[in-house]
Amino acid sequence: MIEIQNLSIRLNEFSLENLNLTIQGKEYFVILGPSGAGKTVFIECIAGLHKIKKGSIKIDGREITHLTPEERKIGYVPQDYVLFPFLNVRENIAFGLKKSRYRNIEIQRTVLALADLLGITHLLERDTRSLSGGEKQRVALARALAPGPKILLLDEPLSSLDNQTSRYLRLELRRMHQELGVTTIHITHNHAEAEELGDRIAIMCSGKIIQTGKPHEIFFSPDNPIVSDFTGSLNILPCNSCRQLVPGLMEVDCDGLRIVIPHDEGNMEKIAISPRDVQISPALPPGPSINRFKGIITDILYNTTTAIITIKIAGIHIMAEMPAELSREMSLTIGEEVYVILKLRRLKVLKRPAEETRGEFRWYYQEIL
Amino acid sequence: MMRGIFQGTRGDHIFRAATISALVILTLFFTLIIASLLTYTDWNTFISALMSPETLFAIRLSLLTATLATLFSLLIAIPVAYAISKNNFPGKTLVDSLLDLPIVISPIALGAALLVFFNTPLGAAINNNILRFVFSVPGIVLAQFTVVSALAIRLLKSTFDGIDTRFEQVARTLGCSKLEAFFRVILPLSRNGLIASGILTWARATGEFGATVTLAGATAMKTETLPISIFLSLASANIGQATALIMILVVISLLALLIIRIITGRRYSL
Repeated sequence: MIEIQNLSIRLNEFSLENLNLTIQGKEYFVILGPSGAGKTVFIECIAGLHKIKKGSIKIDGREITHLTPEERKIGYVPQDYVLFPFLNVRENIAFGLKKSRYRNIEIQRTVLALADLLGITHLLERDTRSLSGGEKQRVALARALAPGPKILLLDEPLSSLDNQTSRYLRLELRRMHQELGVTTIHITHNHAEAEELGDRIAIMCSGKIIQTGKPHEIFFSPDNPIVSDFTGSLNILPCNSCRQLVPGLMEVDCDGLRIVIPHDEGNMEKIAISPRDVQISPALPPGPSINRFKGIITDILYNTTTAIITIKIAGIHIMAEMPAELSREMSLTIGEEVYVILKLRRLKVLKRPAEETRGEFRWYYQEIL
Repeated sequence: MMRGIFQGTRGDHIFRAATISALVILTLFFTLIIASLLTYTDWNTFISALMSPETLFAIRLSLLTATLATLFSLLIAIPVAYAISKNNFPGKTLVDSLLDLPIVISPIALGAALLVFFNTPLGAAINNNILRFVFSVPGIVLAQFTVVSALAIRLLKSTFDGIDTRFEQVARTLGCSKLEAFFRVILPLSRNGLIASGILTWARATGEFGATVTLAGATAMKTETLPISIFLSLASANIGQATALIMILVVISLLALLIIRIITGRRYSL
């Protein structure tokens, strides 16, 4: 278990303020946040690469705050992997094992086992400079895992890979974690990556952790608009009043639009839904009429692969995202009347923030609405 | 008027012709100087001058002292350059400038300063009781070291500056202490810079004259390095021998520069 208490640090442009976090043993923990949030500085603090003046870090109850990196025994994979160019793949993986306590035969056995686990046995004699991004990533992982760390820190491990390789390596990371059971802290700015990999996720912004929870808690019950916006909900609707329909189901009045949402408490400030979870149909769709509205298309914006369609329903605008090809097939036009369906299970509740934080988020509402 | 000439395609041609002309003129100038050495002396004179005991002594002494001065320079320059490159401390700019002084200051002034030092009570004690530097071979090594160590520091500092600190950080998370990370990661990454720095320092030490002649003197067959031998040959109007010695120096320097070009042309990259 990793316990971080009141961790504060100030480095040139980055600062962390009073960070508190507990990560359970064998957990795959993802820290999600935009660039410049301080994520890298945070894991570098855990790895021992910065001197900490305030706060403490404990691993399994043992204070490590002031230990040197080599005394911490934490595996670290930096962004861009930083493989040693003067060593081949085998020598890179064996680097952390070449201490007197390891015999050569043990080193070779460990290197082979890790290469086998990560599917890089065929690359062992290769020059690291000739590897692809995905291959470099696996070698860097094997190198970090070789000394048998209890904790593994991954700094944006998939950010420089193409989509397909990244998606494949997500599965690999998950499998590797299940097999080895190493407590892993993975930082990323990609919410899909976080949602797919994390047992739990922490949202980090401007050197602070704003929310921590399981993926469904983060993505379906974000604590505030910053989290909601960061996790991809561009449709944020004000909640004027609400009433309970049945236990677990509330009807919310959003500027005249009556939306049904699975929720229990009346502490809703706003509700949010990602454009990807808004469906459009030119004809009346079959099924129940819950969260089905009639609206008029006011704008269609085509990107390379997607189309963003803005629909005016009552007095508010809702954005829907669909594949560009599908939008063209449906021959949607501005001014056309369409049915809009908000996916019930994908609606997110922004709870009313505590009094002391309301002011802080006020500017943010204005900016995104 | 000037703006008019240098506008358009014609301007491009004029600019290109001007820069290439400067390059050609300078290359011709150096080639002419070297060629004049070749034409001044015939092959037989050159070989007999080269094989004379004095010349062979000068070559041997130069190779020995320059190699020792280079080794000492690198031994001190590696930690000093690393310390300046990787640390920030108050007065860093001042220390950095001080270490650069031997590059810009006249070598004769440096040699004179060393001579003055060995006339102080501390210097005299060292010179009389520990190792004799004034007018002796160790004095040549010290004079060369004083002049070339700054060059070694400058070259190595730029090598260390170019190494991403994350290499060291990763090595530390893989169990290396700072010292182990230095030997196992930083030095291998600096290999090209180290070799280039060693060769250039050695070539510069081989050609060192000002500080050497001031501290160690110009005694034939005793403190006679290649440049001092050239000086002594010219002083005694032995132009043939001077030419042979100059040719040796030119060949050594040219080889050193070529080797550096070849090495630094194959840099490591991520």
